[in-house]
Amino acid sequence: MASDPDPLLLRRYADAHDRGEREQAAGLWQELAVNNFDRVQQIVKAFRFSPGGPGLPEHEWGSAANEAYLRVIAMGAGFRNREIGQFRAALVTCVQNACRDYGRRELRHDRRAAGSIDETFDPEGAAGPYDAALAAYDAELRERAGEAVESELSRLEAEQLVTWAIAQVPNENYREVLELTWIEKLSGEEIVQRLGISPDNVYARRSRGGKQMERILRGLRT
Amino acid sequence: MAFERERILSEFIDAWNSGRRPDVDEHVARAPAEERAELAEELLAFLSFAPTPSYGEADLAAIRAEPIVAGALAAAGERGGLLPALLPRLRERCSLTTSQLAAELVGALGLPTDREAKTAGYIERLEDGELEPARISRRVFDALARVLRVPRGELEGAGDLSGWGPATAPVFRAGEDAADASRRHLELLGDALEAPGGEGRDEVDDLFLGGR
Repeated sequence: MASDPDPLLLRRYADAHDRGEREQAAGLWQELAVNNFDRVQQIVKAFRFSPGGPGLPEHEWGSAANEAYLRVIAMGAGFRNREIGQFRAALVTCVQNACRDYGRRELRHDRRAAGSIDETFDPEGAAGPYDAALAAYDAELRERAGEAVESELSRLEAEQLVTWAIAQVPNENYREVLELTWIEKLSGEEIVQRLGISPDNVYARRSRGGKQMERILRGLRT
Repeated sequence: MAFERERILSEFIDAWNSGRRPDVDEHVARAPAEERAELAEELLAFLSFAPTPSYGEADLAAIRAEPIVAGALAAAGERGGLLPALLPRLRERCSLTTSQLAAELVGALGLPTDREAKTAGYIERLEDGELEPARISRRVFDALARVLRVPRGELEGAGDLSGWGPATAPVFRAGEDAADASRRHLELLGDALEAPGGEGRDEVDDLFLGGR
């Protein structure tokens, strides 16, 4: 049996929590954590202390991923949001905090690096750098709250933060490739065939469109 | 050169979306040296919001069998929740011994320094899973979070996992699973009986045994 989609698990988790069924909520949160283990592990490997800067040394990846994963599971006891975008943002922030904490040990004697780490430390922040984008997204969700939706699944899809963010990307060509990549989950080769453009063009639009989307999600629209 | 980086990113995206569990390190290593940092950032941006692939049963079983996952899920069901697994990691990452953490904690809580040994004892019990996290005061979690530089909610959450089990169990007209369900409460009672009372009990005991 395939894994349940994250948005569905998160809603079930939140419902179980609201009903006071804590054991069921714990089980659902753990399913979410299992679904997102690869994300945690790969973020640890991709993490950089500053743009273009160094990441965690390879010998720290395992320990950092272990701590990050424990912290992600622990996050479940207090997590109250129902939106999958909020979940992912909180997860990424949690994992990056764990990486920074490891870096603090590695870079303890590097004043410049230590300063930048301390500036980004937010002990109670859930979504960190994504707060501004999430606030805008939430406002738009509230505006749409009264609209009829045909099914639970379509509502879950429509409410994904990523879908909202793609719609904000100004370049139509990038937007088109991002939708095919993120929403329809087409491979690069399938996008080449669908749009009749070269593979290099698909690669470039994915890369550049992805950067625009990231800036939007970080609330740094230019 | 940029095309090469963009092609590798694209391959990672395809592998992720199709549930092939791609590895960041392997992809970054394939990029030209001067493009690796940028590719890592692009991969991080993708991983931050990419929908989770629809994993099949075999993939899920493989993920559950990963040592980190198996260890965390097993620890979550223990009496002390995740704290016995998480706390020593956080402490060691800060290069602190139990005694040093106790000294920091006593300072953060504004307690006299002669309480360090007793506090260290409680930290050891907490790390060994012998202390019920629900009995630890919020002040202790606040202070621990400051010393270890982690959000308090994560520490409290790690402990709260131990409370995610059945809340109550009937003592009379017990069903077949009553013994298991009651065990945790009997252990709690055991802790309470073990704890010093009366004149021997001080502020450290209250902080670690008095609840929130």
